[in-house]
Parts: sequence; C-alpha cells; structure tokens
Amino acid sequence: MAEGPRSYSSAGSGDPLATLMRARQLIHDAQAAIEEASKSVVQQRTASTEIPEHALRLAKAENEREELAVRLAEVEHQVGRLMTLYVATYQLHATLDPADVQSTIAEIAVNLLGAERFALLLRDEDESALEIRIQEGAIDSTWSGASTYPGGDPIIDASLLDGMLRFGPVDNSPVLVAVPLRVQDVTVGALVITKLFEHKGKLDEEDRDLLDLLGAHAASALFASRVYSRAARKLRTLEGLIKLVKQG
Amino acid sequence: MNVVKTRKVLVVEDSRLIHKMYEVMLRPCMLIAAHDGREGLARLGENPDVDVIILDINMPHMTGLEFLGQVKAKPEFAAIPVIIVSTEGKEEDVARGLQAGAVAYLKKPFQREDLLKIIGRLAVVQPSP
Repeated sequence: MAEGPRSYSSAGSGDPLATLMRARQLIHDAQAAIEEASKSVVQQRTASTEIPEHALRLAKAENEREELAVRLAEVEHQVGRLMTLYVATYQLHATLDPADVQSTIAEIAVNLLGAERFALLLRDEDESALEIRIQEGAIDSTWSGASTYPGGDPIIDASLLDGMLRFGPVDNSPVLVAVPLRVQDVTVGALVITKLFEHKGKLDEEDRDLLDLLGAHAASALFASRVYSRAARKLRTLEGLIKLVKQG
Repeated sequence: MNVVKTRKVLVVEDSRLIHKMYEVMLRPCMLIAAHDGREGLARLGENPDVDVIILDINMPHMTGLEFLGQVKAKPEFAAIPVIIVSTEGKEEDVARGLQAGAVAYLKKPFQREDLLKIIGRLAVVQPSP
C-alpha cells in the first residue's frame, strides 16, 4: 500500500537548499507511491487473468474426463460383446456329443439371441433330407407333425441354396433370420428364427456377429461331433466283434 | 467401471452356456454352480455365506420362484440379495419376481455392464484401485 502524504517541515522560502530537499523528498515519496500502486495493478491484472486460465484448464480436464468415461463405457461394452462371442464358441466346441452341440445351439438362440420360436434343421446321415432336430414353438402350419423340413419357405430355401445369411420377414415367410450352417463350403443345415421375445424387440448389428459365428462354428462343431460319434460307434462294434472272436 | 471383488456368488441356472458366461463375466468372484432350484438349496446350505444369488426362473425340478420362496422363508438366508436373470420378460413376470423378494430383475439376453451395475448397487463390488 502507498503511504499517506507526509508532513514536511516548512522550510524558509528563501532557503533554496531546503526547497530542493523538500522537492526531492516529494519526488521520492511520489515514486514510492507510484511503485506501490503499479504493484497493486499488476497483482490485480495477474489475478484476473489467472482465474479464467484455471477455469479454462478445469473445464478442459472435465471434458477429457467425460470423453474418457464415454470411451471406457464403449470399451466395456465391446469387452462384453467379445465375452459373449468367446463363450458361445467355447461352449459349441466343449463337447463331442452331437446332442450336446444341438442343445448348445438352442441355448445360444434362446439366451444370447432372444429367440422365442426357432428350429434347427440338419441334413441327415445320407444327406437326402433336412431333419428338424429342434423345434421351439410353432414355426409354420406346414411344419406341424413333420420330422423333415417340407421346403417352400423362400428365405430358408435361398439360404440353403447359396449359404448366405438372410433376414426377413418377407411375403410368404415368417422367418426373421435363416442362418445357414456351413462346413468347408457345404451347407449342412440351418438355424431358423421366426419370433423373438417381446423384450428383445429386433435383431441388431451386434447380433449379426453372433449369427455369423453360429453359421461357421455350429456347423463345424456338429460335423466334428458327428464324425467322432460315428467313429466311436464303429470302434465299439469292432471291439464287440474282437471280443466275440476271442470268446469263440 | 467397477471390478468385481472376489466374493461368493451362487448361480442357480440350468443352462451350461450361461454358467460359462457368468464364469467369464464375473471372473474375480467365487462362483458356486447349481442347475436347478433343488440343487440351489443344497448348495446354499453348504455355503450359507454367499453374498449374492443369481437366479433363473425356468428350471427343471424346482423353478426359480419356488427356490426364491424357500430362501426368503428361511431367516438365515432371507437377507441374501437375489438377482433374477430370465428370458421371462413380461411386466407381470418382473413384478412377480420382485414381489417374491428379488432385488433386481434382468432380462435375457443381457449386457455384461447391466449385470455389473446391479451387482455394484448391492455393494458386492468396489472401485478398482
């Protein structure tokens, strides 16, 4: 703070030295006062520029934090998706029993895709007909009581023909999606979904990954389990024969 | 996102696929598996210190709601929070589950983050260090 005006002893008006001294003192005091005042102005100016600067940095940090939170949520979501795909793949290949593989396909359809009505079609051993291996709910009136796919659904037929995933529904077909099951470019069956749970609503882009995975992995898991069970059956027959020969 | 601390979770669910899903999603937790309500009660008797129960509804032998009724009727288990995770997603299904004593109802298919949020609300999870 600047000091207040000082009192000065009145020097004789005729004493030039005293007048000079007084003038010097006045100048000195004035300089001190100016210095104090300018310091105060600088301090005020600094403070007034620092506060917005800090506020700016704070806002920037807050924005970055929000962006990171959004990105983290996205990453967590992706992790969840990958976990779902991993578990589906793992479970499909966790068994060599064809019935278990079929159950797993059904579990994926219900629990991961939200399918309420669906069917699993598989070519039989001599590859002549498509057997209805699993049917959950009434798919179509033409299917009632049938053990094999009667044919005639435009989406299913087209998917079986070219091995492409197809979405519906279209005219003359209740099918929401037909997932062809392919092994080495051969279509061995299809998963057909005609109704989803109400709370599921519709199949989205994320479900597409799971459908693609099913198309590839379900078929290879079924193929492997069938080959294994066929080999195991033959082995048991051979062992029985050997036993008989030994006994005879 | 919170990280689930190692806690005991009883999973009563008939789908092997979903058991595997919980195993992966709740990895730090100690999971106790039961495949129907009857087995769930047996596992609970052996592990009365479980922190939370994740329960399916449609199961053989004893449904999830029957299991829940029996758990809530036993004073030693009544305070254990139960989360229902089911494909049954109608409003009346949800209301029935919550009235029976579940603390939350999650519809299948579910997102991992939704399950973790629910478990987080139960204070079974803590912030990652």
